[in-house]
Amino acid sequence: MPLPAKAFQLWLHGVAPNESTADICRISGIKRTTLAQQLVRGKVAETTLVSISRALKRSPLDDLASFDSYAELVGPPQPPTKAELVSQIATMDLLRAVISRSSPAYGGFGDEGSSLTPALGPAPHATSVRNWVDSIDDGELRHRVSAATGIAPQNYSAQLTANRLSPELAVATARAAGVGFTGGLVATGLITEAEAGWPAQARQAALDGLSDGDLTALAGERLQSLGKTLRRQEQEHEQTKKIWENLG
Amino acid sequence: MMATLEWVTLAVCSAAFLLRAPDAVRGRNRTVFGILFLGTLCSVLAVSELYEAVDGVLGGRKLTSLILRYLVFATVLLVGLRLMRGLAAARAHALIAGGIGRWALGLSCLAVTVTFFLMGTYSSQDGLQVLAGGEPNAALESYFTAAGRAYPAYVSLVLVPPLLATVRSRLPRLVRAGALLVLFGAFFAVLTFPASFAPDSWAGAQHVINYSAALGYVVGLVLFWFSGLISNESGNRNATLRKDRN
Repeated sequence: MPLPAKAFQLWLHGVAPNESTADICRISGIKRTTLAQQLVRGKVAETTLVSISRALKRSPLDDLASFDSYAELVGPPQPPTKAELVSQIATMDLLRAVISRSSPAYGGFGDEGSSLTPALGPAPHATSVRNWVDSIDDGELRHRVSAATGIAPQNYSAQLTANRLSPELAVATARAAGVGFTGGLVATGLITEAEAGWPAQARQAALDGLSDGDLTALAGERLQSLGKTLRRQEQEHEQTKKIWENLG
Repeated sequence: MMATLEWVTLAVCSAAFLLRAPDAVRGRNRTVFGILFLGTLCSVLAVSELYEAVDGVLGGRKLTSLILRYLVFATVLLVGLRLMRGLAAARAHALIAGGIGRWALGLSCLAVTVTFFLMGTYSSQDGLQVLAGGEPNAALESYFTAAGRAYPAYVSLVLVPPLLATVRSRLPRLVRAGALLVLFGAFFAVLTFPASFAPDSWAGAQHVINYSAALGYVVGLVLFWFSGLISNESGNRNATLRKDRN
C-alpha cells in the first residue's frame, strides 16, 4: 500500500520546511504532475519518497521507516543472508566467475576472486526479484505470503516474472521468510545496496565464499531459467509475428 | 433502435474498410481488406432501406436476401481461415478448410437455396432481420434464417478455443484485446443459430445478438491490425542476452 498523502506531506514539511513543491520536484527529478496526481489521489508511491529523500541527502530507509506501514524497518537492519547476496549477482557475472575460476586454458585465472575479474554489476539485475525470492524460499514461502497479504498466488507469480514487486509485498515476503527487510527493497531496486547498509564488497565476498560446486550448480540453474524465459519470449514473438502477418 | 443498430454497424464496417484501405493499396494483407470489403457489403444489405433499393434493382423478388446469405458465408469462411492461420491453430484450420468444413459449407448453401425456393417469392426477408412473415411461410422462413446462420455459427464455434487460448496468453495486450473482441463476436454468432427459432416477440434481442456478432468480428480485426501498427512489447524484456548493463 502506498504512503498516505497526509503523512507524506507532514514528513515533507518536517524534512524540507523551506522548499516549495517545485524545488522538491526539481532536485529529486520527479515530474510535478506526477507528484500532484499522487497527492490528489491521496497515495504517494514509495519511489517518490525515496527519490526525494535521496535528493535531500537523507537515508531513504530511515525515512521509509518513519511511516506507520513501514514501522518494522525502524532500527538497525538485519543483514542479508549469503544466499540473498548471491541472488543479487547478475547471471552473466556468475558465469564470468565460473570462467574466471577455470584454468587459463579456458580463459580463466585458476583462482577465486581474482583481482583481474571485472567488478560485479550493481544490483538489481534483470531477474533480481525472482532470484531473491528463490534464495529465501523454503518451499512454502509463496503460500505464507499469499495467506498473510491476501494476494492471489498467480498475481504474485506474475509480479516475480515481470521482475517487479511492490515494496509492501517485498517487506511482507521478507517477514514471511524471517530474513532482513533490506533484501527485497534492494532486489526491487527501491533502494541501493549502500542505502540498505550493505558493505561495499558484501556480494563479492559472498560469491567468493561459494564452493566451485555450488557456484557451478547455481550458474547452471540460472542459465536454465534464462533459457526458458528466452525460449518463451521467442515463441511469443513468433506467435505475435504470425498474427500480424496474417491479420495485420 | 433497429435502424440505429443497422446504421451503426454499417458505419463501423465502412470506417474499418476505409482505415484499412491505404495498407491494402500498398499490398499489405489484401485478404484482410477483402474480408472487410465483404463485411461492409453485407452490412450495406443489412440496412433495410438500402436492401429495398438493391432488391428493387434486382427485380424485387427478394433474391437479394439469398445473395446476402452467400456473401455472409464467404466472409465467414475467409475470416475463419485467416484467423486460424494467424493464431496457428492447425486443428481448427482443418475443421474449416478440411472435409467437415466443406460439408458444412456445402450443406448450408444447399439448405439456404432450397428453403429460399420453397418459400417462393412471397416472403419478406431481408438482411439479418426477420420481418413479420407471410401466412404459411412463417415456418419456412425461420428455417431459411437458421440455415443462413448455421455455417457462421459452426465456424464461430470452431474459432472459440484458439481465441480463448490467445486471450489467456501472454501476448501483447492489444493482440489479446483483439482476440477478446473477436471471441465476443464468435460467441454471439453461435447464439444467432438457436435464436433464429425464438418467437417473434424476441426480435429485439435477436437483432442485438446479430449486430453484436458482426461488430465484434470487425472491431476485433481492426484491433489486430492496429496492434501491429504500434507493436508494443510485453513481459520482462530485460531478461535477454543482449541487454547492455546500465
